[in-house]
Amino acid sequence: MIAALAMVVGVVLGLVLEPTVPLWLQPYLPIAVVAALDAVFGGVRARLDGIFDSKVFVVSFVSNVVVAALVVFLGDKLGVGGQLSTGVVVVLGIRIFGNAAAIRRHLFRA
Amino acid sequence: MSTSLLDDLLSDHLDKGYAEAAARRAERRANGDEPADAPRWGRPLLALGLLLAGFLLAAAYRATATQAPESERIRQALMRDVQQGSATSATLQRQAADLSARLVRERDNALTTSETGDRVGRQVRQLEAAAALVPVRGPGLTILLGDAAPRDQVDPASGDRIAVPPDDNGRLQDRDLQSVVNALWAAGAEAVSINGQRLAPTTTIRAAGEAILVDLFPLSSPYTIAAIGNPDTLLPRFADSAAARRYQSLVGVYGIRFGVHRSTDVQLRAATGTELRYAQPLGGTAPAPAPASEPSDGNTGGEPRPGASPPVPSGGSRPPGGGS
Repeated sequence: MIAALAMVVGVVLGLVLEPTVPLWLQPYLPIAVVAALDAVFGGVRARLDGIFDSKVFVVSFVSNVVVAALVVFLGDKLGVGGQLSTGVVVVLGIRIFGNAAAIRRHLFRA
Repeated sequence: MSTSLLDDLLSDHLDKGYAEAAARRAERRANGDEPADAPRWGRPLLALGLLLAGFLLAAAYRATATQAPESERIRQALMRDVQQGSATSATLQRQAADLSARLVRERDNALTTSETGDRVGRQVRQLEAAAALVPVRGPGLTILLGDAAPRDQVDPASGDRIAVPPDDNGRLQDRDLQSVVNALWAAGAEAVSINGQRLAPTTTIRAAGEAILVDLFPLSSPYTIAAIGNPDTLLPRFADSAAARRYQSLVGVYGIRFGVHRSTDVQLRAATGTELRYAQPLGGTAPAPAPASEPSDGNTGGEPRPGASPPVPSGGSRPPGGGS
């Protein structure tokens, strides 16, 4: 409950405070969002599996976001930013879909 | 870990950390330790993490939502700037034409006061007409040159009739205009303009992308090339030129438009933007008495009407007549 509430508060804060994302950070924002979604879906699935751990969740969330952004940053420097972005999105997308499928099986038994 | 990376990716979606943490907890419980520490700081930590996640989502949403309209706004602003700039340039050009017409009038007034002034004035007018600095009128030719007409085609998807722009072969290039204009000069034309843009001795006809620039002014098809000269010699000489014959044949091949008409009265504006950058007139030609009478005529600025300038060009058309 408190988790959902915190997330809603975060969204509201983000909308109300109108944070201006610095220009140099903007290319990494979509990747960071996908990484965050991956962490969130993983957390929900772990919760449904009964093995949720808040430390694991927070650490995986932060490290996911940072590592994803870092990989893309490195790719940009090497001139393969677009390809690495695609790679990160594919890997995280597969995980998101897998976790979403597991959540679906838990919730609907289907 | 022994499975391949791809297998791992496709089968294990959940972070292994959860399973390991659960195993640790179970182990600790089996050893009799209290796993009570997790709820104590785990809840705020979880709340903080999700707060961050929500904030990130909202920030990303805002960034993308504001970004798209921003580019549109910038495009609009740039378009406005361009329109403003061209409007300003048009006004300034009109102003310059008015002022130069006034200058010519004042100078003529000043020069008619003496015998030598009269002679110098005539000479100046002749030179100006040759340099395309004054509007001129007289008999001549009008040549219409245009891209091939867009073909009417039925869109296979919607069934609507759509206009297909002509392909490259049907589009006129800068060198087409150049060769026609050169043929006109060679045929004895004394003044030429394209779409109202008077050609001065230093005028360039160039291409920039798909536009044709005449002295940096973009023109578009169809092009009306007006030339002043004796029609009786100009028309046959031009019609016999290689350029005219070539474009006459291209009409049938590529569908471009090309027509030559005799005109009894052609009016051409003065060329804009002709200035000497390096050449300097030799001293001694400027008449001394001119400045003395200038201030007295300076207050006739109450008639800056563009309509007042044609009387001057009609005088300027004499040099062309005398030249042929």
